[in-house]
Amino acid sequence: MTHADADRLGGQVNLYQPVSSILELRSVSCAYDPGRPAIRDMSFSIREGEILCLLGPSGCGKTTVLRAIAGFEPVQSGQIFLSGQLVSSSSETIPTEQRRVGMVFQEYALFPHLRVTDNIAFGLRHLSRDERIRRVQEMLRLAGLEGLERRYPHELSGGQQQRVALARALAQNPVVLLLDEPFSNLDPDMAGRMREEVHALLHRMKTTTILVTHDHDEAFAMADSIAVLNQGHLEQLDSPELVYHVPATPFVADFVGQADFLPGQIRQGLVHTELGEFPNTLNSAEGTSVVVMIRPDDIHVAPNQSAEARIADRQFRGSENLYTVRLPSGQIIHSSESSTSVYQEGTPVEIRILATHTVLFDVSALPRPPG
Amino acid sequence: MIAVRRSSISPLQLAALASAALVLSPLGYVTAMALSADAAIWHRLWTTRIPELLGNTVSLAGAVALLTLVLGVSTAWMVTRFEFPGRRLWEVGLVLPLAMPTYVLAYVYNYLLGFGGPVEHLWQMIAGPQARVISPQSFWGVTFVMALDTFPFVYLLTRSALLSFNVSFEEVARTCGASPLRRMFSVILPLLRPSIVAGLALVILYVVSDFGAVSLLRYQTLTYAVFQQMTGRSDNQAASILSVLLVILALLFLLTERWSRRKSRFYQTTGRVRAPQRMRCGWWHTAALTVCLAAVIGLSFGIPAYLLVIWSLSPEAQAILDARFFGFVRNSALLSILAATAGVLVGLPLAYLAGRKPTWINTACLQAAYAGYVLPGPVAALAVLVLFLNVLPFFYGTVIVLVVAYVLHFLPAGLQSLEPSIQQITPNLEEAARTLGLTVRDTWRRVTLPLIRNGVIVAWVLIFLQTMKELPATLLLRPVGFDTLAIRVWLEASEEYYQLAAPSALLIVLVGLPALVLLLSRDWRAAQEPS
Repeated sequence: MTHADADRLGGQVNLYQPVSSILELRSVSCAYDPGRPAIRDMSFSIREGEILCLLGPSGCGKTTVLRAIAGFEPVQSGQIFLSGQLVSSSSETIPTEQRRVGMVFQEYALFPHLRVTDNIAFGLRHLSRDERIRRVQEMLRLAGLEGLERRYPHELSGGQQQRVALARALAQNPVVLLLDEPFSNLDPDMAGRMREEVHALLHRMKTTTILVTHDHDEAFAMADSIAVLNQGHLEQLDSPELVYHVPATPFVADFVGQADFLPGQIRQGLVHTELGEFPNTLNSAEGTSVVVMIRPDDIHVAPNQSAEARIADRQFRGSENLYTVRLPSGQIIHSSESSTSVYQEGTPVEIRILATHTVLFDVSALPRPPG
Repeated sequence: MIAVRRSSISPLQLAALASAALVLSPLGYVTAMALSADAAIWHRLWTTRIPELLGNTVSLAGAVALLTLVLGVSTAWMVTRFEFPGRRLWEVGLVLPLAMPTYVLAYVYNYLLGFGGPVEHLWQMIAGPQARVISPQSFWGVTFVMALDTFPFVYLLTRSALLSFNVSFEEVARTCGASPLRRMFSVILPLLRPSIVAGLALVILYVVSDFGAVSLLRYQTLTYAVFQQMTGRSDNQAASILSVLLVILALLFLLTERWSRRKSRFYQTTGRVRAPQRMRCGWWHTAALTVCLAAVIGLSFGIPAYLLVIWSLSPEAQAILDARFFGFVRNSALLSILAATAGVLVGLPLAYLAGRKPTWINTACLQAAYAGYVLPGPVAALAVLVLFLNVLPFFYGTVIVLVVAYVLHFLPAGLQSLEPSIQQITPNLEEAARTLGLTVRDTWRRVTLPLIRNGVIVAWVLIFLQTMKELPATLLLRPVGFDTLAIRVWLEASEEYYQLAAPSALLIVLVGLPALVLLLSRDWRAAQEPS
């Protein structure tokens, strides 16, 4: 593709929507094999310096999105723009090596035959020798790798390997940094520390980043915004807080944390449930069946001999106790209490709901029958 | 307090020690003989033969290695990175040359490229009546024949490495802006290096210890010279000196390979590995790849095999298919069965003890058994001959001497399949059997043996097939008038009776094919393709 072509294509698209973001996907569909789309009609964009997290269960297509952005997967339809330039469409795919994307693979893919410095310098061939050395030194310092310059990858710990992979990807000043499940190969303790470190580093360098993960805690800790994917399809794109508290679909509600779905019915403009009335935020018609989503941290229990709900189970989780409560109708809900309040199984409890907002779903939208 | 019963040396231990002695004593004798040789002999050899022989051997090994490097890596690349009609067929076909002993290929090319041969005729029609083709009995002729015969070693190892290559390395290089050429030279080839080097080491050992091709093509190498010293001059002392040099040379190559591979186990990352996708080819690409692969397989297997069939069907060849010919077949089979059985019986205690009780003595016994790896056929023959002449002279000229030489020579091949099959069964299985009330003997019979049965069978078949095509040791040690198929091929081919050599050669090639199946099934499993 010539520059003129690219300008013309970009120009045409610009007519109805200006390209202002670093990266934009417009109705992108990809297929591993024809007839089974791995992602369908995906659209989102990311601002400079933002950390976007693609969150979803395995097989939801999140890695495919990443690989399409990197240029490893051709797109079937739709367009991908990197800094305003069309890089992927059904007819054209600009090769990865011309895209200036940095990528950190799940298993890091450090070149085993190269030392730490040579791994980091791998993408810096266009620089002069002096500049290259300076850049590598800078990256070593930023990534906290001083003293490990002469080591080979197999002589590094998991966390150090990850830092090298990150330094290698960041050294070339990528337009966008792509991280594919970067913490999944580390033990939980190390993963937590690396999350903090990486988060700080990315913010300091103001690197636009897309992170793929299946772990919502990781997404919450790292992301400025979260895109939740399910079966190749974007369910919600919002800030972590909104994704957690105001999930757009029952799938999102369930995937980003524990949620109970309480059946109810609209009467006189209110949702009537076993646990009381809620505002009809869906504006559903009178008589419609709906479900109310409630998170365990919004439900509180207090022992009360005259109450009909009973504690069915208790899970001690260190910082909290998670209670399973059986309502008179047989409906199960969960409540999270401080770890010091211990109630025995079978204790009759009174239930209070302290939600600042109500999330309602249509019954048909439920992923599984409640209870 | 628990009393530990210190058992005295078990019969198994004795067997292992005896096996190690069987391997080491001939070697010791040859070395002692070389070292005790008169300084004048050393001086004579050193000033006359050795520089030339060393130069010839090393330059041949180098040239063949270079050619197999190109052939092996490029063919492996073609069948692993492209998808085109017939790919699977070529993938298997590229191994076929291994079924062709070097002396068979050498004798076919002696005819094809020889003076007045078909290639020269063809060339003279194009380039005029004075034109000559490269002689098969020259440095380049031998290089060409040996490379055609041995490139599958490089092909097989490179192919396995390419199939298990983690495509993330390539992808990460692309995100770093590396061009295809740079990816090839600074990522893919360096990562394949350990496998390629291992393949080249096999090629070099093969070339250095080859006798068949160099003897038929009259190219002087150390191995050929050992044979000549023993037969032409009956000078076992000079032969032993050359042998020691040869073993040192082979050891040097082997150690270099080990040294260059010392880091290779770090070269594959753990965890998720995605194999690269094959590139789908259009008709033009398909045609180009097919022509390349057909040329390689045609030259190394197709054309020689075709000629062997044609010659075998000729009236001259048909006339020798009599009782005498079947006698040669029987001799070959008898020797091979004896060698394979002896090899397995000797190898089993060694492999079992080293796997189960890896004390230093058991490990040392096993390592000693691998010495045959660096012993070319004539050297093994010389070693066994010297031993028997000194210790058990009344066995000289019997089949027993021959079988001992075979075991010494081919034990490593057997051990390579016995060892892993024993290591695969966890000792817990045997211990579980003991807790269920079985005696040691019953445990062996009902648990261990059934589990290692396949490994034992593979080892037996491999030794059998190697013995079938063995040439130099048989030539040197056989009882008078006891000819095998391999001997017949060599004798007839030396006299340029191409048709008469063909039936025996064809039979050796056909019998060799099952060995390839074994080799492949092991190798294919090691690098199973993702579907």
